[in-house]
This record gives sequence, structure tokens and C-alpha cells, in this order.
Amino acid sequence: MARESSPTLQRLVNWLKSWEGLLLGLLIVVLIINSSAVPAYLSVGNQVNLFILYIERIIIALMMTFVIINGEIDLSVASLMGLAAGTMARLYEVGVPSGLAVAAALGAGLVCGAFNGFWVAFVGLPSLVVTLAGLITYRGLVWVLVEDRSISNLPGWLNDLGQKPLVGPFPLALILFFVLAVVAFIVLQYSGFGRYVYVIGINRDVARYSGVDVRRVKMILFTASGFIAALSGVLYAARLGAMRSSTAEGFELDIITMVLLGGVSIFGGSGSLRGVLLSILIILNLRNGMGLAYLSANLQTGVIGLLLILSVLVPNLARSAQARLARRRLALRTMQPAEEV
Amino acid sequence: MHAPVLELRNVSKRFDMTQALDDVSLTLYPGEIHALVGENGAGKSTLIKVATGVYQPDQGEIWVNGRRVQIRNSQEAQALGIAAIYQEPMIFPDLSVAENIFISHRDRGLLVNWRKMYEDAEAILAKLDVNLDVRVPARGLTLAAQQTVEIAKAISLDVRTLIMDEPTSSLSAHEVAQLFRLVSTLRNQGVAILFIGHRLEEVLGIADRVSVLRDGKLISSRPRSEVTIDQIIRDMVGRRIEEFFAKSTAQRGELLMSVRGLTKENVFSDISFDVYRGEVLGLAGLVGSRRTDVGLALFGVEPADAGQIIFEGREVRINSPQQALQMGIAYLTEDRRQYGLCMPLPIAANVTLPTLSNYLNGLGLIRSTAECADAEEFRQRLSIRAPSVQVEVANLSGGNQQKVVLSKWLNTKPKLLILDEPTRGIDVRTKAEVHHMINDLAAQGLGIILISSDLPEILAMSDRILVMREGRQMGVFTRQEATQEDIMAAAMGQEYKMAERQP
Repeated sequence: MARESSPTLQRLVNWLKSWEGLLLGLLIVVLIINSSAVPAYLSVGNQVNLFILYIERIIIALMMTFVIINGEIDLSVASLMGLAAGTMARLYEVGVPSGLAVAAALGAGLVCGAFNGFWVAFVGLPSLVVTLAGLITYRGLVWVLVEDRSISNLPGWLNDLGQKPLVGPFPLALILFFVLAVVAFIVLQYSGFGRYVYVIGINRDVARYSGVDVRRVKMILFTASGFIAALSGVLYAARLGAMRSSTAEGFELDIITMVLLGGVSIFGGSGSLRGVLLSILIILNLRNGMGLAYLSANLQTGVIGLLLILSVLVPNLARSAQARLARRRLALRTMQPAEEV
Repeated sequence: MHAPVLELRNVSKRFDMTQALDDVSLTLYPGEIHALVGENGAGKSTLIKVATGVYQPDQGEIWVNGRRVQIRNSQEAQALGIAAIYQEPMIFPDLSVAENIFISHRDRGLLVNWRKMYEDAEAILAKLDVNLDVRVPARGLTLAAQQTVEIAKAISLDVRTLIMDEPTSSLSAHEVAQLFRLVSTLRNQGVAILFIGHRLEEVLGIADRVSVLRDGKLISSRPRSEVTIDQIIRDMVGRRIEEFFAKSTAQRGELLMSVRGLTKENVFSDISFDVYRGEVLGLAGLVGSRRTDVGLALFGVEPADAGQIIFEGREVRINSPQQALQMGIAYLTEDRRQYGLCMPLPIAANVTLPTLSNYLNGLGLIRSTAECADAEEFRQRLSIRAPSVQVEVANLSGGNQQKVVLSKWLNTKPKLLILDEPTRGIDVRTKAEVHHMINDLAAQGLGIILISSDLPEILAMSDRILVMREGRQMGVFTRQEATQEDIMAAAMGQEYKMAERQP
């Protein structure tokens, strides 16, 4: 019996020694410290409040995980949040029915995402450049739409959805996140599409020579990324009850940080949603804990940045240490050939 | 006669399984063009690398100007007056011609004396009797002109031994003539030239001495006046022990694919052949013969521009690997790391990749039991040495990785299987297994196109052999009539009367 369970046990041990295991350990430490300092820290209400502050970025991080594993990046998501919020607010302001205004905002996300995807998938331009152009262009469009005003005249039902709990203590955005997280996890780990996302990220040539429609996969990813960003933009405006041209500016960096800190390789091909979810939990709780300790927001950001460097450094160090160990073992073995075999 | 400038004495070099150089001795004299010929893998590149310090010989000595030396890297080789130029010139495209010529000179102080550099560059080119503007960026130069710059670079370093590795392979006839004039000029100035080439007429047209390498051994080294082309070809192919079991001649079935006049501009032209079910068609040729490009065209990776492909009686266009796979064409690439395998993924995921849609349920999720079962079947059938199909392919040996790629393509149940160097870099035992499998597959009625640089392999495995040279079809030989000499002669550009007969 013990023998049979050992491979599973071995896998668990290996996982704990990986970056994700380290994240889990860090999370537990942070949670222990925070909850010993603040009585009801681990209560559902408190954790929900933590999540809600970042919920739109967290939802986009799910999608960004797919994009980065695929070996691409989408820098335009925060500008698209702004564009969607602006489209919706402006249309409602000029008298378009609220449902239609929201649909138009989501449609704008789809179109802009597909536009990004076209250049990357069919023309072969680097997504870093294409979506940087998107970041600038879409933000520019928001300024054209909204100028330097603040629009707080949003549909009432939308404000309610954004600000009031829908089921139990959970508002719509959080429920949406739960559903999307489960769907994303299943798609990435168990579906054919998820397999293609990894394979293209690992080696695009192998994918192409194996008859995988690389362009289609990339097109779908960028279009979906645009749509999810627009959806999050609308949710963000609804939660705040207002939007302005600078809404969500700079969020793309928070989002990419969440993904990379979770152990997803910036070069594509490796990483998992499990790691990204852990990194989101850490970022939320660490920031909150540091806030409780009266660390300034700037210092908090600095700590997150250090952690991000560690996320790249630690797995690399571990790998080279492992290689050194293997080499030493090999050298030992070749020095005493009689003992082996 | 002068004293030799460079001597290799009894040099040997071994890599794992292969003896790349075996007790090779070679002497270069000043003012002599010494041609070195041999098949792919005969050891020519290794020899160049030993002479330029890239590799250290396991045994043997290197003597330069009558002194025994050790050459630890290419800088030391340069200091000894040895330089090599390669097929692809190593040019910095954004620097001027003059800057490229003096790129290796590092002792010029803080500031560049541009005027002096231009003058010196012009002087060197004048010495070579070449007319080139030294101030223009190298980017716009033709390949031939870039090669001239490389030669000038070597001259600027006061080179005494110049090694030229297939410098003519991408030049036009006119440019070759120019290059040869240049090489003759160098010879007359007392430089020793080791010239490696594939086109025998060319080589014999310029060489003073011809040496032949085969399987890492120096077979012959004779003055030009004492050799004939036939003799050289005989030396190159030799008589090797048959390391292959006799091919079981499968029953040739109906016509599977007909290719007529297949052309891709500047790559290959007018390639025509038939492949029958149950038949192995060998594609032979030397480096640069464009065999692989024909394979890539048939698989839709780099589609052809013109010509006709008839597959199973229907005329088809193959514009993407998806299309090719749908029709039943599979292509095992020559480089499995770059094009064949996802290294971090398990065996199972690699095997099912081209046919993943067959393993999806209604929701688009992978049926992992079916996936593993099929992969397991291949693991046993091809005896892939791995504990399970969940093992990452990165952890397998080269031979077992090759079996995984083979499984992946067999799992697409192909009608036509294109194998590009299927036994390169794998151990002898696996090689035999792969050969056995090729026979089996042909017996099951697959059409197989076998691209290989290994001449004995092509001869042993193929029913018919199409020989290519520089993108052109030189002839089709049947297994009965083909000899190593015929194929080598055709691959080297000898016009053979043995007209192709498509039976």
C-alpha cells in the first residue's frame, strides 16, 4: 500500500518544492501573521472585500494567463477597460438604452481584440508592439469620447450590480470570477484548445508542422482577451459608479505581475492557473497585511516588485543547483565504475 | 619545394559513437591549392574545426611552419596565420566594407582613423585585383562580393593558410569564375589554400592536389595530374560493409502520388516522380541539393509555385500542413528538436498532437484514457524505452525521441510518409529498428519517400532513387541498376546517360 501511494506522494513533494509550493508557503505565513494581528481577518466578509478591490484585474489575469502561456502578451487590456467604460457611459448619456450601451461596450472590446489578433496572428507582428500600439490608441479613443470629464450618470441597474451583493455576500463580479476561473482551469488543463495554447507557446514550429491552426488559436485568444477586458471595464465603472478618461490606467502592469508571479514564463509554454490564483491571493493578502502594518502604498508596490524578481530567480537557481548536483553524481559514478552496474 | 605551412599529423577526433577523424595526415604547401572532397559526414567539417582551433584533436599533432603548435581557439589560429571562410559569409551588414575587412583588428587605439582604414582597405582589394567601394555598407553586396570581403579580411590578417569551406555552393557560374581568379591570385602570392567543394569538375579545374576523406579516414591524396573524376568518386564511396539486412521487396501497389514539374523559384525546379503504394522512393543528394525543400513543399509547409501533384488520382494543391495531413501525408522532419517534438510535454501528448481532434469529447475536452491507450500501443509496438507514456520526451534518449516522432506520424494513419533523415543522430540499434519499421510500413501498403544523406542507407532501403543536385533532378535509378558510384556521380553533377525510366 505504501508503495502504491509513493508516486502521488512524490509528486506532492515535488510540487511543494516548486515555485508554486513556495507561494503556498508564503501565503500561509502571510495569512497567519495577518490573522493574528486582526481578529476576523479570515472571515468571508473581509476576504470578499479584499477581492473586490482588485476583482476586474483578477478576471483579466485569468485570460492573460492564456495569452502569456501562448507566448504572447496583451498590453492593451487596461486601455480597453477604459474604452469599454467610456463607450457605455457616453452612449447612455446621449440616450441609448442601457442594455444596448453595455452591448456596444462589449462589442468594442471584441472588435479591438480581434484587431490586435489580426496583426499578431495573420501578419506576424510581435504582440508586444501591436498591443503597445493598442494601449496608446484605445486610450486615445477614450479621451476623444469622454475628454476630461467624469461621467457618473450610469444606468441604475448597473450600479446596483456593481455595488450590491447578488448572492449571499458575493457581488456579480466575484461570482463571475468564480465561474470564469473554473471554466478557464478546465479549458487550459483538459481541453484540446488548452493543449494547443501550451504547444504553440512551447514551440510554434512543432505546432505548425503538426497541423495545428496557429493563427486561429492566436486570433481566438486576442479576441477573447479584448472581450474580457471590456467586460471588466464595464464592471469597474459599475463598481465605482463613474468613469473618466484615465479609468484603469496602468492596470495592465498589475495584471501581468499577477500572472508572472504565479510562475508563468514570459517566454511562453509553461505555467498554470493554479500558480496564478496563488499569486493573486498572495498579492491581495500581502498588500492588506502591509497596509495593516502602516507600510505606504509605494513601499507595498516595491515589495511586490521584489517578489516578482524572486519568481524568476528562484526557479532558475533551483534548476542550476539541480544540474550541478546531477553532474557531481555523474562524476562520482564515472570515477568508481566498479561499484555501479 | 617549399617547407609546408600547415601539417596535420595522425589526427584523430571522436564524438560519442562516431569516429569523426581517424588518423588523418594532411600537408599544405605555400602556393598550392589543395582540394578536399568527401561525402556528407566524411569528416571535412571536423578537420576544418581542428585546424582552426574550434576542436582539439584527441590524438595527433598540428605543425605550423615547422613548429609543433596547439591551437586552442580561432584567435590563436588567426595568430598562426590560419583562417577559414565558410559557405555563408560572416558579414556585419550595417558596417562598411572597410570596417568588415578590419573587424578583427583591435589594436588601433581609441579613435578610428577612417581615412587610413579606407586607404588600407583599398590597398588590400587592389592587391587582390578587385574593384569594390570600401565605404558602402556590406548589406547591399552580392554573396560573391561578400565572400571577397571575407577573403580580404583574411588577407588583412596576413593569413598564410586559407581554408575555404564550399565557397561556391551559392554562386553563379560567372561568380565562381571570379572567385577562382581571386583564389589563383592568392596562390601566386604564396598562400596555401585548402579548398572544400562538392562540384568535382570545379574542384579539379582549380586544384593542384586532391585529397579524399571517407568515414573520417584519409583515403587518398594525389597531385591533380594523376587523378580522374571516376577515381575520386570511387575513393569517396569506397566499399563498405553492408550494415543493413536485405530489403524485403514489398509488392508494389497502385499509383499513390504523381508529381510533375514541381517548381519553387530559386529553390528547386522541374521535379517529377511517381510514388506507388508499398514502395520506398529514396531522395539522394548532397548538402544544398534541396531534397528537404521538396519534402516541405509536398507537406505544404513551403508550398511549390508551379507544377502538378496528383494524389490518389485527384489533382491537389497542398498549401498547408493541415491539408497535407487531411490527405494522408505525414512528414518526419530532419530536426526533431526544432520541428518534431514538444520537449516539456509527455510522450502521450506528443503522439496525439496532429490528431488531437480525434481525442476530444463533445465539450472539446481531451479523452485522456483514449489518448494514453493509443500512445501506450505505440510505446510497445516501437519499443520506446520509457516507464510510461506520461514521461516527458525531454528525458528520453535521441533514439527514443525519434521513435516518439515516428509514433506521432504513424498515428495519423498516413498513406504517404515522408522521412527526412530518419536515422540521423541515433544509435545503431535504433537505426536498425527504424529500418525494419520502414520495411514493415511499405509492406503494409504505405508509400514512403526517404530523404537521406546516408548513401548505403538509401541504397539498401529504396526501391527507386531520385538523385537531386542544386534543386534539379539528375535522374531516377532503380534499386537493381543503382550503385553508390552512379548516385554519387549524379549528385556531384556528372551527366549520366542512364536516362530515367518511370516504370
